Amino acid sequence: MPHALLRCLPLALLAAAALWLRTHELARRPMHADEANQGVKTGELVEAGRYAFDPRDHHGPTLYYLGAAVATLRGQATLAALDETTLRLVPALAGALAVPLLVLLARRREPGGPGLSEPAALAAGAFLALAPPAVYYSRYFIQETLLATGALAVAVALRCWWRSGRTRWAVAAGTGLGLMQATKASTPLFVAAAAIAVLLTRAAARPASPRPGRDLLAGVGAAAVTAALLYSSFGTHWAGLRDALSVYLHALLRFGAEAPPTGHEKPWGYYLQLLGWSRAGGLLWHQAALSALALAGLAVAARRRDPLLRGCAVYGLLILAAFSAFPYKTPWHAVHFAAPAALLAGLALDALACRRAGPVLAAAAALLVGLSLWQQTRLVAFLRPADGRNPWAYVHSSSDVLKFRPLAEAARAARPGEPIRVISEEYWPLPWYLRGLPDVGYWTEAPPDCEGALVIASLAQAEAVRARLRRPARESFVGLRPGFLCVVFHPEP
Amino acid sequence: MHSRHLPLLLSALIGATAFAGAPGKVPLAVEYPKPLFAGTPRPISLANLEPAGAKRPDILVSAESKLLSRGKKVTSSDSLPVIGELSFITDGDKTGIDGAYVELGPNTQWVQVDLGASAKIDAVAVWHFHSQARVYHDVVVQISDDPEFKKGVKTIFNNDDDNSSKLGKGGDKSYVETNHGRVLPADGASGRYVRLYSNGNTSDELNHYCEIEVFGVAK
Repeated sequence: MPHALLRCLPLALLAAAALWLRTHELARRPMHADEANQGVKTGELVEAGRYAFDPRDHHGPTLYYLGAAVATLRGQATLAALDETTLRLVPALAGALAVPLLVLLARRREPGGPGLSEPAALAAGAFLALAPPAVYYSRYFIQETLLATGALAVAVALRCWWRSGRTRWAVAAGTGLGLMQATKASTPLFVAAAAIAVLLTRAAARPASPRPGRDLLAGVGAAAVTAALLYSSFGTHWAGLRDALSVYLHALLRFGAEAPPTGHEKPWGYYLQLLGWSRAGGLLWHQAALSALALAGLAVAARRRDPLLRGCAVYGLLILAAFSAFPYKTPWHAVHFAAPAALLAGLALDALACRRAGPVLAAAAALLVGLSLWQQTRLVAFLRPADGRNPWAYVHSSSDVLKFRPLAEAARAARPGEPIRVISEEYWPLPWYLRGLPDVGYWTEAPPDCEGALVIASLAQAEAVRARLRRPARESFVGLRPGFLCVVFHPEP
Repeated sequence: MHSRHLPLLLSALIGATAFAGAPGKVPLAVEYPKPLFAGTPRPISLANLEPAGAKRPDILVSAESKLLSRGKKVTSSDSLPVIGELSFITDGDKTGIDGAYVELGPNTQWVQVDLGASAKIDAVAVWHFHSQARVYHDVVVQISDDPEFKKGVKTIFNNDDDNSSKLGKGGDKSYVETNHGRVLPADGASGRYVRLYSNGNTSDELNHYCEIEVFGVAK
């Protein structure tokens, strides 16, 4: 085998393992309400070819366009034909791509240069490949993994530009940044953290480019064009550009000091607990081994005069501090700490390997951390992916939601002319599960006429529905998510 | 007579009539654990549900009836539960807190209490999991002298309305788990073994038990 191929083999194997972890049994976990909502939106894009950015309740367009692209490749042309695997392949592929990107970012390019040794960089990649939040949210049709991978891609392109001075790398970085902005409006937070990190660690250094100002402009231009293309729905919805800016006004109204609570407010130490450990219902959830190694790496970064690794450490700390300071917290934001933590853990191994008997100790530490991560990822993503105690399965749909579709199909077959009514103050992910069925209606309160082939009501609405049903109905219970029950009324024959 | 006294008088009359119609019977005394629901409770006022925390009607049992199941051996279709131990089911701890329940795997699973000898069973009480509003599916409770439950089986409760657990279609109502669990009359059914089935619940596909209590008279 040629030497170059042999050198690439460990990274290729690592990427293949990351891909398997992110794509194996993708459809098994029930759809979360957010995934279902975005799945229906993707279905509309696939079916009608139309998309209009909604600054109030949705993030940017990238996820939907990529979902539509995968659907086209898989021959799914309607919302009804879409499936969970198609949607989740988007974050899964992005999450798998993040692993080689981290290795490329971290590894030393020349002897004595910045970065990690090849084994340490591969170990960092392995930690990211195995990290529970990285795996879990790579199998989850939301924006966060795209954003995290976008940040890594921008960092790799910027590093290449810094070293080579070639304008095309600045354009590549700008394109990545534009894709990030078109994925989620929180991108400026990552840009600010990266800018501070660069200023603090590379203030005296200069990039190789003879005209950095021109390259910077080219990059910003590429970012603007990319974001504008997506927000304007490729020139078919120009109001999307205005909405892309107004999203910050909506965010201020929603999250500002005067805004009412969103229900997702959590204490500042929430992410630290996710990075450490917690116990719930007899199960232990942790990332403590990786976090401990990353802390050791942080200490090494403080001492080692390596601007790349120091910059990554500062970036990771700033992101962690910013998300912790913001009262609105959801566990998927922890995806953004996974790559910095993996890189810092790799740095700790790098430093350990330089000591006497260090390589053996470093290998043992890498193995222990890897096994600990695999044990947790197996529990989190494969054994209990929708368990209410799983800290990553946030307000997750229960496995019971899979029963709604067969119930609705049986009801439609029994009473073809009658509608299916969903009467509940909360009903996602039901529109996903009932997609493609005719005559399905949704109400948040009981309408005057509640008759139907099947009536699904929340507990709060069930009494009003029962009072308005003219025919006798058999009742059963199906869960929407832990603690939220639905009463299903089946009209008696 | 003031009208507000009428319900009280009616209740007393109904109670007296019930006792008069069941000589030698006394209300079954069951100790209930503290409620564990946290957060704002959702309104539950359905025809086939008792409101959370409400007391169900008394079950009348013979005066000699006593708790037969405490500390008795429990077996299960899931012999190696990931969380908890089968012995938790008859250890008297029905608090429902972490470490006080056993979690069985997904799909239809059963647990079986061996009373040690055949008994005349008056009632079976079960607490699946009561720290969250949830309904267990396909709850079936059977009594038999056959440990394999192949002959002489009496079913005292079955809410599997679509026969998805393949034990026969049942007409009993489903119920939301509370600290009151569910006390099921067994009407003096004879048997040494009590087996309880379930098939997941509205929150997850797993099966849980805090406690099972079997009341009756040893033969």
